[in-house]
Amino acid sequence: MTLEITLMWITLGFYFVSTLMFVVGVIFTREKTTRQAFYVAAAGLVPQLAAVAVRWVRLGHGPYVGYYEVANALTLFTMVLFVAAALRNTRLASIGVAVMPVSVLLLGGAMLSDKADIPITASLASYWLVIHVIFANMAFAAFVASFGLSIAYVLRNKQGSVWVDRLKALPDQLRVEDLSVRFVLAGFLLWGMMIVSGAIWAEESWGRYWSWDPIETWSLIVWLIYAVFLHLRYTMRWKGTRLAWFSIVSMPIALFCLIGIPTVYNTIHAGYIGGMEGQLW
Amino acid sequence: MKFLRRTLGSPVLALVLIILVGAWSMLATIVPQGHADAPEVESWVAANGVLGSITSAVGLHEAFGAPPFIAVSIVLMLSTAVCSWDRTRVAVKRGRALRAGARITPEDLARTTDLAVPIDPALSDADALARTTSRLEAIGIKVRTEGGVIRAVSPWWSVWGSPVFHWALVLLALAAFSGVLFRAEGNMVIPVGESKPDVPESYLVVETGRLHSWDGVERSIRVEDFDPAMKKGDLELGAVPTVSVLDGDGEVIATEDVYPNNKLHAGSLSINAPTCGLTATIALETAGGDSLPQVVQLVAFSQEASGGTEPLQPLVASNNAGQVLLRLMATVPLDPRGDGTYGEWIPKDPAAHIVLEDGAGTILFDGIVRTGESAPLNGGGSVELLDVGWYAHLALVDDPSIPVVYAAMVLALLGLTMSLASRQQLIAAAVKTDDDGRSLAVMMRLWRNVPTDRAEIEQVLTEALGRLPEGENA
Repeated sequence: MTLEITLMWITLGFYFVSTLMFVVGVIFTREKTTRQAFYVAAAGLVPQLAAVAVRWVRLGHGPYVGYYEVANALTLFTMVLFVAAALRNTRLASIGVAVMPVSVLLLGGAMLSDKADIPITASLASYWLVIHVIFANMAFAAFVASFGLSIAYVLRNKQGSVWVDRLKALPDQLRVEDLSVRFVLAGFLLWGMMIVSGAIWAEESWGRYWSWDPIETWSLIVWLIYAVFLHLRYTMRWKGTRLAWFSIVSMPIALFCLIGIPTVYNTIHAGYIGGMEGQLW
Repeated sequence: MKFLRRTLGSPVLALVLIILVGAWSMLATIVPQGHADAPEVESWVAANGVLGSITSAVGLHEAFGAPPFIAVSIVLMLSTAVCSWDRTRVAVKRGRALRAGARITPEDLARTTDLAVPIDPALSDADALARTTSRLEAIGIKVRTEGGVIRAVSPWWSVWGSPVFHWALVLLALAAFSGVLFRAEGNMVIPVGESKPDVPESYLVVETGRLHSWDGVERSIRVEDFDPAMKKGDLELGAVPTVSVLDGDGEVIATEDVYPNNKLHAGSLSINAPTCGLTATIALETAGGDSLPQVVQLVAFSQEASGGTEPLQPLVASNNAGQVLLRLMATVPLDPRGDGTYGEWIPKDPAAHIVLEDGAGTILFDGIVRTGESAPLNGGGSVELLDVGWYAHLALVDDPSIPVVYAAMVLALLGLTMSLASRQQLIAAAVKTDDDGRSLAVMMRLWRNVPTDRAEIEQVLTEALGRLPEGENA
């Protein structure tokens, strides 16, 4: 086992333990355990960053191609955003109970996938790749943060629910809802930037800024879904549980767009994640 | 007209249209896309019975050019335009209010008070203003005090994010639509060292938008040079042609090594070089003494074809009456690799398999000829292979709408960023004295991205300026 893979398994260990501690801390209302769970999650970033750095130096490129690298980068950005948000506002740490399982599942999937070295080919050798991928990762991290906050909101929103006590460390419901919407706003903007940078790159690389390829189409669908969310919030004045459910349901669609579509569809983007062609027909 | 405008401006309609576009797009990714006679479409429709006939009937297999999708997109664009107009009117109004707010005086405030907070008599005017400042700043509102007025007024442009974003989406839709009308896109194959005029006849395949005009196009494309295996550092770029665009006088406008992520731009024209192939240059002399000193057969690589190549298109010589005199087809047998495939490269010992027939279909020659060799034709005459070289297969796109599309995208993102990041607020306060005594006259407009709300502001000001607890002084 190489140093990089060892570090990645250690990372997964940290995140897994952190998830368990979050569950225990929140369910048994042990604030100390929840706080420790957050520190364990934050500590997991150290080996993950080191593993990414080791691979980057060895291959000469960042985590941009192949399921392993893509899922690893999505997890990394999600964790960085979660840790940064919870350091800025310590009361947000308990949303780790919803965010950490997403990270563990993503990273677990990455660790079970093919970790072969995938070189950057001529068609991928562009600074647009870096810009495009960074925006995708940042947008996804924002959607996961909104997802975590929305789960906490829904759990606490029933009167007399045990979750009111279990998640009492979180800010009040209005603030949680506001933060969730703000993360969606940020994600919406970043996802838009991902689409625009991808379009410019596609025009440069293939001569068409938009070709209705499945992944392009799905990225537009995800953007439209969050546009509907924002319209519901700002023009239809939706609030509360139904808006939170909207955010909860939307995040997996964004995830499917990022790692599911290139795997199951016949797409020119399949190469970046090592997908199979023509599975649907 | 009013009804139409109201309907198009309805947020519910906008939502329904967005959902329809999203749902249609989702369905489009589930069924195969292509013309009705494309093999995947045909087999999918046949295998899915009633569902297949429905998807065919509604045009779901050519989803993004289908009438239902175009109709919904046009209505969505109109709805966005009406919505943008409404948002513009709001922004104008708010912008005016913000500009006025930046100049507001205590007298203006006394006349247009949204909220009057009684001030404890123990507090002087200066104390009251100081307390207001510190309490507002404590809840995240940064204020400035000038001429006895406390102000937290956003700049006038802060309210323009949303209209700019929505107008940019309208512009984007218009630019994309006009792109379809003005665009010309096609493939051209040019042997190395040769040039072709940019006219429809030079293209292998070309799609031209209804409003694209070839009249003003006076340029030609030349392939100057070719490197079949270019490397840049450790990066293998593959086959890289050096392509030039020449103006009507033959002057070079632009020249570039064309490879992935490095295409040639010349005005609205852009050129990629997705593939390449071989050329077989042949000289012919017929039994009647007619000669064709240099005929170039383009040969495409094909792992399925015998010998690894196939002619891109047969060459035909006709007389003035259009009668076919000769048909020539040539391939270049490639060197086989150990794994049963062919190396896509000029063979070590270049040769061409030439088939020549007359207009009646009689075979005049069918055999292999090596470079520099000539062979006799049945019935007299000869065929000679002059050279085996390369051609570049170029993908040309002439789309004047692209800069507008990019500008619209950038504008949309700028508008969205402004709309998300810039605070839209107008808070002004000054002490006023009237028959009811002294109070803090407050004007409040909290539109967007404000970290607090009216109730909280009212509460903190009431607490700050109300009767002081015993023992506390100003």
